[in-house]
Amino acid sequence: MGTIRVGRRDVKPDTPGHVSGLHQGNWGPYERQTGHHRDGTSDARRSTGIHWKKHDTIMKAMPNISPG
Amino acid sequence: MTTTEARRAGRKPAQIVDMSWDPITRIIGNLGIYTKIDFANREVVECHSTSSLFRGYSVFMKGKDPRDAGFITSRICGICGDNHTTCSNYAQQMAYGVKPPPLAEHITNLGEAAEYMFDHTIFQDNLVFVDFCEAMVKATNPSVLARAERTEAPRGHLHGYRTIADIMRAFNPFEGEIYKQALKMSRITREMFCLMEGRHVHPSTLYPGGVGTMPQPTVFTDYLARLMRVIDFVKQAVALNDDVFDFFYQALPGYEEVGRRRILLACWGAWQNPDIVDYRYETMNHWGKAMYVTPGIIVDGQLVTNNLVDINLGLRILLGSSYYDDWTSEEPFVTHDPLGNPVDIRHPWNQTTLPHPQKRAFDHNYSWVMSPRWHHPETGQHLALDTGGGPLARLWSTALNGLVDTPYIKATGHSVRITLPHGEKLPETTLEWTIPQWSNTIERDRARPYFIAYAAAMALQFLEQAQTLVRAGETKVFENFQVPDEAIGCGFHEAVRGVLSHHLVIKNQKIANYHPYPPTPWNASPRDPYGTPGPYEDAVQGQPIFEENDPDTFKGVDIMRTVRSFDPCLPCGVHMYLGNGKTLTTTHTPTYGTDQG
Repeated sequence: MGTIRVGRRDVKPDTPGHVSGLHQGNWGPYERQTGHHRDGTSDARRSTGIHWKKHDTIMKAMPNISPG
Repeated sequence: MTTTEARRAGRKPAQIVDMSWDPITRIIGNLGIYTKIDFANREVVECHSTSSLFRGYSVFMKGKDPRDAGFITSRICGICGDNHTTCSNYAQQMAYGVKPPPLAEHITNLGEAAEYMFDHTIFQDNLVFVDFCEAMVKATNPSVLARAERTEAPRGHLHGYRTIADIMRAFNPFEGEIYKQALKMSRITREMFCLMEGRHVHPSTLYPGGVGTMPQPTVFTDYLARLMRVIDFVKQAVALNDDVFDFFYQALPGYEEVGRRRILLACWGAWQNPDIVDYRYETMNHWGKAMYVTPGIIVDGQLVTNNLVDINLGLRILLGSSYYDDWTSEEPFVTHDPLGNPVDIRHPWNQTTLPHPQKRAFDHNYSWVMSPRWHHPETGQHLALDTGGGPLARLWSTALNGLVDTPYIKATGHSVRITLPHGEKLPETTLEWTIPQWSNTIERDRARPYFIAYAAAMALQFLEQAQTLVRAGETKVFENFQVPDEAIGCGFHEAVRGVLSHHLVIKNQKIANYHPYPPTPWNASPRDPYGTPGPYEDAVQGQPIFEENDPDTFKGVDIMRTVRSFDPCLPCGVHMYLGNGKTLTTTHTPTYGTDQG
């Protein structure tokens, strides 16, 4: 700190602001989270856990995305 | 000397009066401008810019977890903090060797575009235009106001004001129509920002490796709906600005000399192209040129370089009049860059901040701002580059480079064409910003609304690209990474006011050295060891005075217009001052769930 006199710090500067082991929220148990795919995409079934088999698009031409 | 040449001869005997403004209002921070004005020849003969604020980010960043850098450096600034976060993430991505997914890049770009629109609007309409409003012009140049009352506004069919004086009245603070409308607009643009980056102005969803924004269709449609609300305001803002600034040139012949300095402009580039960028230093020249605002250094109207590697290697932090001890006897952190080029001891990677508080003396040391310069390899000179307040250098560099070619923006080599779609009222409009003759006060201010239009046009493109990905079911916005034991990184970005670089050195997975260099140290720098004044000083020194008041009632509006045209922001410009009040708290973070019972 050059010539400035400073006191002793109470906190170590490297007190971690992060916990290792956190991943992207959407990354997870693909078997139990229907609608999430391993390549980072998702489809309409993502947004529901109820009767999810019935929540896919009914036609190929429809955009299969989760309602925002 | 890399400064502007002295002006004309044929002078009356000088009548020098010392005038100073400290602190200057409508500027965050503590900027003081000390001048000597020759009232006989209506000219400023000497100028010093000084800052009385020290903060020490580069001191207390040492030893911290590098992943925190973006969150900490955001607090450098209360208006452009997100630019620091973005730039810090760029530097960290280089150090960690991670590239965010394309969707994350678009989200960051959309957030930054909203920031440019918000910040330039609030600064131009609520802060700069106070110097051009009816009340101010009445107090400083009554004859100009009388002429403005008689002058039809050429673009009145676009913005709805009949005379130039009507526009000036609409600029009046707190009551003028434009002033109030700009506040509403800056609210909408901040909402757009928050959709992408979570919170204004310190983003909560920008991380190295990606973002935490949930890429749902509604996020993008909410952004688009707000963007379409501001698009007509942007078109009108450009027309209003052009009318007023053209009028100033007509009403006050010679006004181009106010704030004119030699053309020494710097732009570090903005908005990464996700298809090209990989954040590796070795390929920085390639992906730098693919940015949607092209980096460049412009000297006397010529492009010197647009290669980010050259730009990086030429950076020098000089101490000539600043309250710091020199660090050249310290151990350098980085002797060679990843390409094997030698790195100077005065480069930010090797800098050690050694503050040394002392008395202010204009013939010795007088500012907490250091003097960043760019070493010109051909001439060996240390150039005192400025950013022209941000937009001027960005548009100038993009236009000269002629590389940007998108559905809404085309750089032609001498101009930038910006096409904005139909808004609520006004039809599709193509605006063209042409490279001006001078780098002066009016042109710095004029470039600002054009860049708001530029940001709006870019936002439309990013929206389309992001929505295409979302429609394909894409949700990936983050890439995992490991913090290496040792690494270096640098990030180049454009803060709202101009060039921004973050230089980072990691040792033992902790920050060994960290130096953010935002635009204001470039613009507000004091005289360096070679005697070269910084851009504010250079622009004000030798400028004519058009104000009609005598020394007793002198307001210095021409000088204030010049300083404010650079969009000064001193908290960025200086590197903790604990005065009589001293608060120390001990905090430990994070502990999950302790407060949740």
